[in-house]
Amino acid sequence: MAMIETQDVKKSYPSGEGLMEILHGVSLSIPAGHCAFIVGPSGSGKSTLLHLIGAMDQPTSGRVIIDGADLTTMSEAQKDIFRRDKIGIIFQAFNLVGNLTAIENVLVPFLPRGITPELRDRATEMLKKVGLGHRLTHRPNKMSGGEQQRVAIARALVKHPQVVLADEPTGQLDSHTGEEIFRILRNLQHESGTTLVVVTHDRRFIQPGDLVLEIEDGLLKH
Amino acid sequence: MWRFAWRNILNRPTRTFLALVGLSIPILGVVGLFSLSKGLRMLVGNTLSQVQGVIVLRNNSPSPAFSDIPADLPDQVRGVPGVKIVSPELWGIAPPIENTNLIARTLSSLGDQQKRMQSLLDTPLIAGQEPVTHGKITTSVYRKALLKPDENGGRYLDERDIGKNHVVISKKYANQFKNPDGTPKKPGDKLKIGKETFDVIGVYHTNSMILDGVLVMNLDTARRVLNRPNGLSDVYVEMTDPSKSAEVSAAIEAKFPDFDARSMSEFQTAFGDLMGQLDRILALTVSLALAVGVVGIVNTMLMSTLERMSEFGVLRTNGWSSAHVMRLVTLESAYLGVLAGILGCFLAMVGTTIANRFLTGGIQLVVTPWLILLGLGLSFVTGTLGGLYPAWKASHMAPMEAIRLGHR
Repeated sequence: MAMIETQDVKKSYPSGEGLMEILHGVSLSIPAGHCAFIVGPSGSGKSTLLHLIGAMDQPTSGRVIIDGADLTTMSEAQKDIFRRDKIGIIFQAFNLVGNLTAIENVLVPFLPRGITPELRDRATEMLKKVGLGHRLTHRPNKMSGGEQQRVAIARALVKHPQVVLADEPTGQLDSHTGEEIFRILRNLQHESGTTLVVVTHDRRFIQPGDLVLEIEDGLLKH
Repeated sequence: MWRFAWRNILNRPTRTFLALVGLSIPILGVVGLFSLSKGLRMLVGNTLSQVQGVIVLRNNSPSPAFSDIPADLPDQVRGVPGVKIVSPELWGIAPPIENTNLIARTLSSLGDQQKRMQSLLDTPLIAGQEPVTHGKITTSVYRKALLKPDENGGRYLDERDIGKNHVVISKKYANQFKNPDGTPKKPGDKLKIGKETFDVIGVYHTNSMILDGVLVMNLDTARRVLNRPNGLSDVYVEMTDPSKSAEVSAAIEAKFPDFDARSMSEFQTAFGDLMGQLDRILALTVSLALAVGVVGIVNTMLMSTLERMSEFGVLRTNGWSSAHVMRLVTLESAYLGVLAGILGCFLAMVGTTIANRFLTGGIQLVVTPWLILLGLGLSFVTGTLGGLYPAWKASHMAPMEAIRLGHR
């Protein structure tokens, strides 16, 4: 069964006096538990597609269906809950909250509802899994880029999401650190059975068995 | 979330400090101005509560010093049912005392804050009384306020003082117009009023700035000093039944329509109305200042939210709802409000304490717990309201739109 499905998804942005269409009708299907790579040149619409899958943006037309739920018919409140419970997101720029320590950044999804000791233990465990057991109380500005991205991975996975979306997760890291990040990401994906979707233009990390979706000029190449 | 919001406030100390100063000054104004209003109420309340009879004076006269009544009015008032004692009085602004008038006192006190405040607030009045008639009054303010003999209180006016330059002065004036050797005036000492020299026979202390500004003397002597031959300002009336003062006042006014018979409760009501109007003007002034404070908070929070759009987008992508982001930003501005309230109230308390050291004569700035609560409450509400628009702006944006905007 498909965990992620898009049907003729189009997305336009205002540009000057008119609209610029980034995605021209993308239809795809990603089975549950798989690792999928969306690849393509810069400006091809990879990240835009990822954001639509994560309910972080609204398609101009078409449907986005995750685990049987149509995101395009959801209210804003339903999308909030969807992102909170089912989606983990990793950005190229890490996007940690500067005021918070590593463990607090991992716990960000739970902050509005209150942090329980159980959640704190879970976050600590997750940081240990990404090799940051000794950096729990450090703030982002005291950590390297690789460490910050590991915190972001822990934050994405701590809520046991059904789908983890990674937008150029190694884009700001050196080659060695990038490999390390992918190793961690794959281990955790394998362990949790979550569906992983990675946007990248770097094909080095693609392994046999991965689903590769190539986008060019806003269209999926077959 | 509370701690997160708190850290966000502390994370930008300069901006937070400036916002605090911007809002705490109006709060300081609220507490300071209303403490003055409260002080005035207490001063006048303290004064009026000491005068228990009814005063009959000409219509629309703000005080006995600006009233004149015909010489036969006291006898006519005596005929009103319920009236027990009628004591005629003459009030007027005193001529220079010890050759020092208000302007001279003010000029001579330049550079001395305490003396300057005293001289501006002091305008000595002369009260002329008939010693024999007045002696029958049981509620005489100044006789009751006479200092004890061991405090050099002396005695009050009686028939021995008729036709003589004898005066009863307040402790305040005893200290203000000292003897050549620097000691305060006491019974037996001389005091020059206008061109005449008086013997001080008594010293009183009512602890009211208004009442303590009076020199009490025999009625005929007062007429001469004030140059008002046969002049009368009012009659002080004591009732057979003090609880019937309202009925007796009404009867007097019915019989003599050109005159007001004012009980102290009427004075208090009139003063209360006046202070109510003053409070409304103060509230209006303070509202304008608070509006400026709100603009400051809106500006601070807008800057803060615009800088952190990316952060809000990240929070939204991690499952925070619009309401959660709105709550976070509103919480931050509410913190600013509370902190500004604490700072403003603290500054007001320090300021009023210092000001009270320089204010003499009974008027004091009074900061009550309710005033502090008002200051804190206003500040909290102002801070919270000021954060609502920035909070709305921060929360009602699609997550990726916010992140993109933040990264520009």
